[in-house]
Amino acid sequence: MPDWAKFVRQNLRLSHLRPEREAEIVEDLAEQLDEAYAEALQRGLSSQQAEAVAMQHVVDWEALAIELGRSERGRETVMATLLHQAEDRDVAKRGRFSLLTDFCQDVHYALRVMRKSPGFTLIIILTLALGIGANTSIFSIVNAVLLRSLPYYDASRLVKITFNNPGIGLRDVPYSVPELEDLKSRAGVFEEVSVVVSGSTNLTGARQQPERLELLEVSPNYFSMLGASPQIGRLFGSQDFALGFAEAAVISDGLWRRSYGGDPNILGKRLKLDGDPVTIVGVLPARFRHPGKTVARDVEVWVTAGFSADPYPKPARNVKVAREAIGRLKPGIDVTQAQARLTAMASELRTDFPNDYPPEAKWTIEIRPLQDALVGNVRPQLLVLMAAVVLVVLIASVNIANLLLARASGRQREMALRMALGAGRFRVVRQMLTESLVLSFIAGVAGVLTAKLTLSFIIHFLPASVPRLAEVGVDRTVLLFALLISIFTGIIFGLAPAFQTMKADMTAAIREGTQGSGSSAKTFRLRSLLIVSELALAVVLMVGAGLLLRTFWGLLQENPGFNPSRVVTASFWLPNPNDPKTDVYANFAERTSFIRDVIRRVATIPGIDRAAMTSDLPGARPAITAALVIEDRATDSSQGLTAEVIRVSPDYFMLMQCPLIRGRFFLESDESGKQEVAIIDETTARRYWSGVDPVGRRLRLDRNTGSQRGNLSLPWVIVVGIVKDMKQDGLDTDGVPHIFRPIYQEAGRAMSVVARTPLPASLLESQIRSEIQSVDPTLPVFNIRSMNDVMDVSIAPRRFSAELVGVFAAVAMLLSSIGIYGLLAYMVGQRSREIGIRVALGAQRSDILTLILGKGLLLVGAGIAIGLVLASAAAPFIATLLYGVHPFDVTVFVTVPLVLMLVAFLATYIPARRATMVDPIIALHES
Amino acid sequence: MFNRELKKGSVEFLVLSLLEARPRHGYEIGKLIEARSKGRIQFRIGSLYPVLCRLEDRDLLSGRWVEKAGRRRRRYYRLTVAGRRFLAAQRSAWDEFVLTINHIARSENA
Repeated sequence: MPDWAKFVRQNLRLSHLRPEREAEIVEDLAEQLDEAYAEALQRGLSSQQAEAVAMQHVVDWEALAIELGRSERGRETVMATLLHQAEDRDVAKRGRFSLLTDFCQDVHYALRVMRKSPGFTLIIILTLALGIGANTSIFSIVNAVLLRSLPYYDASRLVKITFNNPGIGLRDVPYSVPELEDLKSRAGVFEEVSVVVSGSTNLTGARQQPERLELLEVSPNYFSMLGASPQIGRLFGSQDFALGFAEAAVISDGLWRRSYGGDPNILGKRLKLDGDPVTIVGVLPARFRHPGKTVARDVEVWVTAGFSADPYPKPARNVKVAREAIGRLKPGIDVTQAQARLTAMASELRTDFPNDYPPEAKWTIEIRPLQDALVGNVRPQLLVLMAAVVLVVLIASVNIANLLLARASGRQREMALRMALGAGRFRVVRQMLTESLVLSFIAGVAGVLTAKLTLSFIIHFLPASVPRLAEVGVDRTVLLFALLISIFTGIIFGLAPAFQTMKADMTAAIREGTQGSGSSAKTFRLRSLLIVSELALAVVLMVGAGLLLRTFWGLLQENPGFNPSRVVTASFWLPNPNDPKTDVYANFAERTSFIRDVIRRVATIPGIDRAAMTSDLPGARPAITAALVIEDRATDSSQGLTAEVIRVSPDYFMLMQCPLIRGRFFLESDESGKQEVAIIDETTARRYWSGVDPVGRRLRLDRNTGSQRGNLSLPWVIVVGIVKDMKQDGLDTDGVPHIFRPIYQEAGRAMSVVARTPLPASLLESQIRSEIQSVDPTLPVFNIRSMNDVMDVSIAPRRFSAELVGVFAAVAMLLSSIGIYGLLAYMVGQRSREIGIRVALGAQRSDILTLILGKGLLLVGAGIAIGLVLASAAAPFIATLLYGVHPFDVTVFVTVPLVLMLVAFLATYIPARRATMVDPIIALHES
Repeated sequence: MFNRELKKGSVEFLVLSLLEARPRHGYEIGKLIEARSKGRIQFRIGSLYPVLCRLEDRDLLSGRWVEKAGRRRRRYYRLTVAGRRFLAAQRSAWDEFVLTINHIARSENA
């Protein structure tokens, strides 16, 4: 018995047919051939002869294939209809329980539909995948930085503790050991409290070059409070309690791998930090991060101390040792309750110790949830980014809705037939929504994959000041978000064609097919509405981007008050060993001589014109703030007088090209033992000596720190000069008063050398390092970079936001323009007959142009108008991110509509021009 | 046998008229045409099948698979309402056509 189906399949080459239809044809033909074969057998022919007779029935297989292919194209709509009709009948038979099966059928059908137009489907999926991918990436950052709780045990009970003197305008003032004890025992709100001192330390002996490490000095309970566990060895515990420093040290995973190659026998190894020997007792896991600010990068070594012995002075209430502290609240006490208790305790202490707490200072204690303290300042920026990227995906969805509407017009006949044959309207709408959801789900998966692959790349571009970047990743919450966004976008762009189908006129659709003017007018109206909303959203995004970009560019133009080009900087940290006897720089004379040596040597490097020293580079980090007492001014009116204090060498201002307004610069002779002098900036002069010449006046600087000299009476300092304001705290901060002191009269341990040179930092790096190390070979030199780089870092977050939102706005503008173009091209296509008639009746090309352009520009105008209203409502929300730019900046609000108008005009002009080329004869014939 | 063009032009009419009485399957239609024309008109499966598909596509026919125990399932074709109307129109057009041609052809001899 011959296999007729196989025979047919071998000979009949059908293409572009759905697999089911092909199977049907094969079966039908095979059955008929089988009948012919059986009949021949019955007539008495042999099996071979009967086969030959049957095979004679189809001679030209190719012609048959062509014939069948031709008739199939029209058949498909009807087939699909009938298929679904059969399914609908099955459903009615089975009853309502098969909702899931329905859904599976819908999905199956949706995939079939998608396969029929692969190019179209691909465009939609790609557009959506990009939108969802971008959203997922930004959300994973928002999730890790803002939403997820800190990765510590019961993180909601962790708080940051700060001490303030609001009466004299000082925040974050240092505290003493007795005050720490008060927090632990007297306050009654804390389960644990730990001191935190961040700084640098010089590691010597481990490798050839001395290395600067990020150091953290903490109380022994720091790790247990955070709930951290070691990767190897142990963390600090009660056995590490010491008045001074304990011998134990804990290192980070990064340091362990970098400097010790991941040596498993690391425990017990000794390090020299600032000359002090410590023993490594544990290594932290790779993911552990200290929840706070550091000097330059992640903490690499932790040591613990009691802060009550060398190098710290004997504890006394007015002997301050640290600035930062973190604590864990007792269970059952929330932040508000704890704050109330602490405020009360501060008040009690002020009364109990009046000598240590001058009443005008109004010393107080403040706590803030640790997470808030850590991420609070990046919250506005991240939220703006999130809003921007959501707008982009909304615009993309609207665009896709438009595309689907255009295609839905072509499927109206199919839908109408199905409804006529018994499928409920609701069923059909459900089918269309399912199609959209399948599309968006596929796009969502693609988007998540894209996000996962590109996330590390994106993080690379994020400013380093964004905290918790190490925790960013695609986790369950992010996946859930991606799913929700996919469903959300699927519903948005699925609603439009579904809505249109619900209102479709069935009879007209069956009769007219795609040429029905009634339904196409409705489609046009719906699509116009979508376009207008797309444009409005694009305007909002563009206005936001415009404001942020203007802020950023404004900052770039901002005069920093000095000339940062062609200045190279290098930083170092003079070691501060625990044993004062081993402290080379304990003696002030040693320090001064070191500074003089370094300046002299760096200045001799070929290519360097001049060198100077400063304690704080402009734009790097805020300098220490001191309270001022100004002579001839009543003490109570001295309240709230503060200034940042920066120590500089005599040549500093000339090197930085910061002009002198009055008086003189520092001299080499302004050194220890001579009259204490200071130079102030314009802001300080204006604020504290308004109407009076400050040069020659005297003031006192109180830094609220326990001086190692044990000196309680502060010397009078004479103002010898006034300089122009410098952007010491970053390009976007001004109005902060600064006072400069000669580095030979007052020097700390953290310093940076600045050098004026036309050469780039990379070329000078090794030379600068070797010159400094020729004075002290154990001194690591770090952050050798140009002054411009330092300033750039201070505005890096703004640059990032502005650029990213700018990219989003450009994408939005592009999508909207494509949308308009598509809509008008569709309109021209639909109305080509009408245009043909107009031209035949005498209309000029320019009339047609005006007609189409007019329609297009009307839409654009409406979109822009609505968009401007929305933008005005939204603009105040990003005011915190602006600098020097008003939320209703006229330039932005005028430029954005103009740009959009221009781009939209181009998008409108092309189809309009095509409309003028319509040949009336051809147009009239095509009906 | 008849001219190929004549055959082609009338095959649709033939198929539709044969389905007027009752539904039939593809091979049966071909056999019936052969039988009723006493062998003068023969359609191979390869020629008839595309016609059936075309007519089905124009909603003049509708096809349906029918299963019977012990045999392969067959596709039966039947006239749709539109198909009946079309057949009626074709029939009267054909009658009128034949009448007119005869009138012209025979009147020369009249």
